[in-house]
Amino acid sequence: MTKTSLTVTVAKDLADLIPVFFKNRHKELESLRAALAGEDFEQLRHLGHRMKGVGNSYGFATVSEIGKRIEDGARNSDRGAIEPCIGEYADYLSRVQVVYE
Amino acid sequence: MSKRAGGPAAPPARLAYRVLVVDDDPDMVAFLARLLRKEGLTVETAVDGAEALARVSATSPDLVLLDVMMPGESGFDICRQLKGDEATALIPVVLVTSLEDSESRVRGIEAGADDFLSKPVKREELIARVKTLRRLHDTRKELESRRLAAEVQRKEAIRKAFSRYISPHLADRIADAAGEQGDPFQGRAQRTQVVALFADLRGFTRLTEQNEVGSVVGMLNEYFGVLTEAAYQHDGTIFNMAGDSLLVGFNVPFPQPDAAERAWRTALGMVGRFAPVAAAWQRRHGLELGVGVGICTGEAIIGNVGSEHYASYTIIGNPVNTAARLMQMAAAGEVLVCGPVYERIRHLLSGHRVAERGDVTLRGRTEPIPVFAVKATEAAAV
Repeated sequence: MTKTSLTVTVAKDLADLIPVFFKNRHKELESLRAALAGEDFEQLRHLGHRMKGVGNSYGFATVSEIGKRIEDGARNSDRGAIEPCIGEYADYLSRVQVVYE
Repeated sequence: MSKRAGGPAAPPARLAYRVLVVDDDPDMVAFLARLLRKEGLTVETAVDGAEALARVSATSPDLVLLDVMMPGESGFDICRQLKGDEATALIPVVLVTSLEDSESRVRGIEAGADDFLSKPVKREELIARVKTLRRLHDTRKELESRRLAAEVQRKEAIRKAFSRYISPHLADRIADAAGEQGDPFQGRAQRTQVVALFADLRGFTRLTEQNEVGSVVGMLNEYFGVLTEAAYQHDGTIFNMAGDSLLVGFNVPFPQPDAAERAWRTALGMVGRFAPVAAAWQRRHGLELGVGVGICTGEAIIGNVGSEHYASYTIIGNPVNTAARLMQMAAAGEVLVCGPVYERIRHLLSGHRVAERGDVTLRGRTEPIPVFAVKATEAAAV
């Protein structure tokens, strides 16, 4: 079954930065999973904070929103709150499509 | 190691507004650099505090965009260091913080941050803030360059005004001091320790009797020329030039711990420099001429004396009167000094003929003073 894509509009002048941006987001996803497995809440907080700052700067509001929830969960050492966020992030990255204008 | 974010490189422009972007997130650095370069700004980047400080020190940017949360030293720490260093304190620092993080803003203000930028960064907000800071920067630079130009002009005017009366070196000092302490010539009269030197020309009366007016003036100019050169060489201040006599002060308007030595060297210079002039005049006019000098030290009053329309920087007091009397007593090529001056310069007198005149009561004085006569030898009088 094909996943529904999510379309995000990004400013044209950032187009050449987007491939690297997504490459780093996928690396970030792996880091989140590893940190969760090790219950490294400080690292989770750091990664969530970074997602929150960079996501919507490029136009990806969902990245910032998920990042904020991960940061908040990590502050409370709440594994149960973080785990679904990481799943949601993986799903988002697999479906997001970019259009430039 | 600095990384240049992607995108077209800005053309090299020496006067371009230079922004240093500091963030440990390469995507954030690339994003900020892209937007700023699009605005025609020159962008450099650093990935942590240590690199940021090194970049600031090496290139002195016009603005620093500084992320707060970085590994190692935080943005607050870096901001505090930049603001605490005189060399970098005036570089505007914009801290990049989370929108909802009010505590960070308070800490940023305490660290000396000039402005804040919210993360996620809105393009319009970034550009507006940078433009505002750039305007302030340009205005500050413009005011600074105008102030410097006015300062240079003012100092040049002071130099020009005083360089006829004092040595170029002293004129420079006065021009510099005028910016810090006010014009030393405009201050209130003060009582201070001085060394006064009087010099005049032995045989001047005969010279005026035997020569045409035009010729006398030319000879006087030549004579004063060599005496002035000697005075300026040792940073003396010329207070008076009348007839054939010249009054030079030392330890004024600026302290000269070696004032007596300077006065002696000036006297020696006057005698030595005038010798070839005197020889030429003797050949031309058959006149026996030479310089006589008197030097004395003591407390004197220094200040501007005169009226609203005319005033001169004047030195008044016993050492001046005594130096004048000693000068009158001095033979051609002879330097008469009072006791305290002799004590200060005796280590310089080897090679010169020194005669103790004993305690002499000078005209106008009740107390006798010790007087020494020094005949400058040809070889030593330079």
